[in-house]
This record gives sequence, C-alpha cells and structure tokens, in this order.
Amino acid sequence: MPARRPNFLYHLHPPTIPERESRFRYTFGLGGISVFLFLVLIVTGLLLTFFYIPTPGDAFASIEIIAFQVPFGWLIRNLHYWAAQAAVLVVALHMLRVILTGAYKAPRRANTVIGVALLAGTLLLDFTGYVLRWDEGTRWALVVGTNLVKETPLIGGALYQMIAGGAEIGAATTIRFYAWHILGLAVPAVILIGWHIFKVRRDGGIAHRPREGDRAPRIDRAQLVRVETIAMLVVMAALLGLSILLPAPLGPMADLPAASDKAQAPWFFLWVQALLRYVPPVWAGILLPLGLLIVLSLIPYLIDRRSEGAAEWFNRPGRVAQVLTLLMLAGLVGLTLVEIAQ
Amino acid sequence: MKPDRRLVFAALALAIAVAFAFARQVTMPTAKSITPTLTGQPELCLTCHDGIEEISASHPQDAFGCVICHGGNALALDADLAHAGMRGGKNPSDFSVVEASCGGSECHSGSAEDQRDHIHRSTTSIQATYAGAIAQVRRSFGAQPDGVALYGVYAVGDDHVRSASAVPSLAEFDPVALGDPQPVVDFAANCMRCHLFAEPSAQPYGYRSTGCAACHTPYASDGRYRGGDPVIDKTQPGHAAAHRMTTAIPYTTCNACHNRGNYSLRQMAFLPRTDLPSSGEPLPEDRLRDYYQPIGQFTLCEWKLDCVDCHTSSEAMGDGDLYSSKLDIQYIQCRTCHGTLTEPPTTATITDANDVELRRARLNGNTTLQVGDTVLLTERGEKMGAIQLVDGKLVQTMKVTGEQLEIPLVKGTACEQKPDEQESRYCHECHAYERDGS
Repeated sequence: MPARRPNFLYHLHPPTIPERESRFRYTFGLGGISVFLFLVLIVTGLLLTFFYIPTPGDAFASIEIIAFQVPFGWLIRNLHYWAAQAAVLVVALHMLRVILTGAYKAPRRANTVIGVALLAGTLLLDFTGYVLRWDEGTRWALVVGTNLVKETPLIGGALYQMIAGGAEIGAATTIRFYAWHILGLAVPAVILIGWHIFKVRRDGGIAHRPREGDRAPRIDRAQLVRVETIAMLVVMAALLGLSILLPAPLGPMADLPAASDKAQAPWFFLWVQALLRYVPPVWAGILLPLGLLIVLSLIPYLIDRRSEGAAEWFNRPGRVAQVLTLLMLAGLVGLTLVEIAQ
Repeated sequence: MKPDRRLVFAALALAIAVAFAFARQVTMPTAKSITPTLTGQPELCLTCHDGIEEISASHPQDAFGCVICHGGNALALDADLAHAGMRGGKNPSDFSVVEASCGGSECHSGSAEDQRDHIHRSTTSIQATYAGAIAQVRRSFGAQPDGVALYGVYAVGDDHVRSASAVPSLAEFDPVALGDPQPVVDFAANCMRCHLFAEPSAQPYGYRSTGCAACHTPYASDGRYRGGDPVIDKTQPGHAAAHRMTTAIPYTTCNACHNRGNYSLRQMAFLPRTDLPSSGEPLPEDRLRDYYQPIGQFTLCEWKLDCVDCHTSSEAMGDGDLYSSKLDIQYIQCRTCHGTLTEPPTTATITDANDVELRRARLNGNTTLQVGDTVLLTERGEKMGAIQLVDGKLVQTMKVTGEQLEIPLVKGTACEQKPDEQESRYCHECHAYERDGS
C-alpha cells in the first residue's frame, strides 16, 4: 500500500476492495457505468444548452441547427441521446443486479431506496428530454403523459399545472419541461448520485461476503481505478460508435393540436402504452408504476429482512424478492413486446 | 511497469472511434444558407440542390427562396426530414395545395379587378373541371336531360356568377354512386386522364404535371430532367425539363393533353396516336406532324404558331365562371386577328401604366410594350399585347420563339367569305392545308 497521501481521484475510492466482488462477473460494472453515463450526459447536456431554445416555435429549429449546422453538433446530440437510452437500461440492470445478489440487505437498505429514486429520476429525465425535441413523434409523450398526470387522485390538477405550466399545453410548457429536465431532475439526480456513492462507502463498501478478519484477498485502489478507466474507454468508444452510425431520431415539427397517428410512447414507456389498452388511465399511468417503485423500495424492509445471503447471486434467503423482481421485469418486457407487435 | 494490455486496447478502440467522428465531421457538406427577403428565415435547401434553376424571373430566389412555395423543413439536411411537409410532393401548384403555395391576395388569390385571381380562374376552368365532357356524355346516355353541367371532376363553387350560361356550382362526379348507365361509368374509368386535377401523365411525348405546372412548367418529350440540380435524377422520366415556370408555353406542353389521339364513343375508350416512337426521344421539330387530327382541317397559323399566340388568358385559364361547354369560353376566331371584308380587327391603345399587358410583355421579354402602344383587342375586350399595330400593320411576335409575323388582313382582298358565315370552319374551306402538303 502506498505510504504517500492519495490524489483526489484515488481518494474517492476505498484503499482496497475485496477481490471477489471486484470481478466483472459479480457486478458487471453496472453501477460505475451508470455514473459514467451520467457524466457524459452532463457534459453533452451542458454543450447542448448553448444552442437549444426552449420555446415551442424555436425548439425544433434549434435542434435542426445543432444536428445539421453546428460543427460536431450532430455528435454531441447523438451522444446525449445514446447515453440517455443506455443509462435507462444500465440503471435498470444495476437495480436488477442489486436485487439478485441481495445487495439491498442491511446495512444497505436505505441506499436501495435512494437507488429506486434514481431509477425513477432516470426515466423521468429520459422522458422530459424526449419531449423537448418538440416534433411530431414526441407529441404522444407530451399530450398523453401530461394527461396521465392529471389522472392522479386528489392532486392531479395541481400536478398537471406544475408540469404543463398552465391549464393546457402551450408556450409555457416547453420551458417548464426544460426547467424540470435540468433543474428539477438532473441537479437533484447529481446530488442523489453523490449521496448514493457516499452511502456505498459509509455502508461498508461494495456488498461482500462476511469474512473472518483480513484473510479474504483484496485489490489495491490503483487496480480498481485502472479497470474503471478501461470500462470508461470501452463505453465511450461504444457510445461514439453508436453516435456515428445511428443518428438520434428527429421527426417533422410538431403541429399542436393537429393529430398524428404516428405518435407513440418512447421505448421505455411502451409498457404504459400497452397497459392503457387494458386498464383505466389512473392505473396504467399512476398507480401501477408507483406500485412497482413501492414494491422495489419495500424489498429490503418487508419482503426480505434477512441479512444472510448478501453478495451471492440468486442467494436462497432473497428468493422471494428475486422472483418478484424477475416477474415484474418479465411483465414490463412482455407488455413492451406486445405493444411493438401492434 | 508493463502497461495493461486491456487498457491499451480500450484506448485504441476509443482513438479509432474518435478518428471516425472527425472523419465524419470533415466530410459533411458545408451548409449553404439563403435568407429570402419575403420570409426572413434561413433555408438550407441549396446545400444539396446547388445548381437548381431559378423558377422564374417573377419569383426570384432572393425574395422567395424555396420554402414559401414548397413547404418542407428549411433547416434540415437529412433528405427525408427536409422534404417532410412539402406541399404536393415536388409540385406545390397541384390544385389540392395551390392555395397554400401560390395563394394570398398579393399573389395569385387576388381580385379579378387586379387581374390576380389566377387560382380561382384556373380551378373553375373547364380544363380543370372537365364539366363539358361529363355533361355531354351523361346527356348522350340519358343520365341527364340536357347539357347543363351538374358535375365536375371535383366539387367546386363560384360565388360571383357573371355569365348567363354559367352554373353556380358543380358536385363531384361519381357515376357509380349516381347510378349512371354503364357507358358513363366506363367513360369515368377510361377517358378522364386529361384534366388539371388528374394524375401526372407518364406517356412519351405526353409527360406533364398537374395544377398550374401542368401548363406553366414544360416537360421534355421523354419526361427527363435536363437542368442543373445535381441531386435530381436525370435518368428517370417524371421530372420537368427544368425547374422553371414560364408564360411562353410551347405547343409541345399543350400537346401533353391535346393531340394525343382520339376518343371513341362507341368503344368508350381513348385510342392513343400510334405515329410517334414509343421511346419519347426528342424529335426534330415538325409542327404539322405533332398536330394530330388525321381527319381535321387547319390553316397555316394553327400549326405554325404556338397555342398561346392566339388563345387568350381567359380561354386557357377560364374567366372565373363555371361553364358547361368549352364553346362558352373558347371564342377566338380567324376574324379576331384577320378582320372581315368590311371591318379590320379591333385594336386598343394602352393608357394605364399598370395595364396587365405591360406586365405580361415584361415577363415574356420578346416584345417591348409601353403606354401609348396600340394592340389587338378581342371580341371580349382582352388585349393581346404580342400583336401590335406598327406603321399601320398588325405585327405578331411569337411568345416562345420571338419570330415576328405580319398578319394579313381580309379587308381589301378577294376573299369570298359571307358576312353571316364568320366561324373558322368557313375559312378552312379555302385556306386549309391537307396533310399531304397540298
């Protein structure tokens, strides 16, 4: 172990971590990749704010200027788009990994709830960002999404006004969504991520098998930083590859209130669109999604209170929680496939 | 310390990706932006369409740009996105979108007094409604008692009916729904290819557009684009000869509908002419050959001149009223230009600096017309600015070729016409050419 005092980057990491839990096949690096994706989103998002204009008349035109005229504007926009879609996927998979390895168990229960909040925040960030495109394809997202919010019992009307900026979708809505995207969601997300990472260390580092003394092998923080660097390089290369080969979608400008039959939900809400066919809107849009989040949050407190079995994939004590989570996931994926087939 | 191989490969992968990103940026075409004065909004269309012809001198690119007529996405450089929302595909003058593209009181939806009601006139003209043919066929087969038009190709109304023989409105012609006899149904299926609302024609020597462009944008005989736009396909037929509108319409454009063959009422079919090659290849000019009426009679001017040299604006585009027969709107006769044994043709002097004939002459460019000039006046009061009285002689300047011809007058000649037989067919009896050249 180096005797000198570590620099800032090393200091952010624990001096050593258990060797078994540092392996790729234990965590797949999903938490770290989520943090990196958020870094990419913040940097590219900041660059985009130099050109994006949050008014109904100019929003789409400003995106066209970014995509077609600003040097490397197409790259920054595409990176922002792909990092966002990857973030939704990676954050969800990280949550799944945490459940399946029992890493939610005490003393990490509160951090799990912070994680669930971050999952919800990631989805809402992707959603608000999607709407800010203000084109034909995102009209569904805007109109149906805001109408679903109205369905919330008791506070629906007030919530709608908070989100739409008025009694109906209008000029105030664009800048309201912009404010939510950056100040209402991204800034709190950064704070929550900071807290989430702090709590990982405060709760005893990465969830690991309980061991006697120091007999289990550990790796140095330098090694950890090195594999993190490799992961970041690979993820960045993949994001660049996607950004070069597959442009972020851009449709014809939205013409509210003209109707369009091409509009549909963003991919991560296709399951909500499917549900809307079978159950009333208040269930499809509010109660069921909220219920899923509540169930996830209650896993460490109600569904599996036992502390044995942490850091084991498919550990026995957490079987109920694992099956429940996998069933919920299967339901979401199934509904999504059903909706795609329509 | 030996470098970690994984780190090296990961760094390499990123470097390659970054290199590709730079390559992509460097090879992107520089956006070419114009900001037309009428809209004040930048447009990037010329980035790809760099070299396309200016549509016309009266619609300069500096003022109009592209989007004000065509619609579409001014700021996109992706073809699909840029062309989304374009009015009428590549023809914004198609009658389904003409009001949005060409309309406006300053443009072509103005008043009859200002002579700016072109859209109203052409959409109610008999070439657009086809009301005459529909009425006659229905009458022939007993579906209606007389030749007063009830139906047109599409439903259209007219708020200001001026002529006694005009109708206030036409309903959409649907013979099946009306329960018309079978021959009328066959007529609708086989014989309605030529009206201004029809599908663009795709026949060799018959390529044409729809709407205003059907007449004002000439096509080549093989339907191929011959202009300077690098991204318009020059190999496939279906494009205008150039991105141009003109009032100097050559007879070949009229021939895209007219002179294409003959109708057979018995077979209720159109029998296309078979004397032209099927390739549509450009042929040396032979106006007599192109005028296809194997049993018809016509005089020299009817095939030497272009159609627009005689047929007036109201004849070709209508006068705003819905008529039941082309006989109500087509009125030019030989005597309009040649006069009679006792009367020379009527003329008028241009006194108003805003006279539309001055505007037309400026647009055409083959004649110089100014206030004080004397021009031909038709029976219905239309001035024909290309036929001027010069030193006591009537001189016609052809609108397309610019060739000048002196019009021989009947008065003072040995012509045998009778005062009560003044239609053109009587003149044909002596002055007609036979097809064999005699």
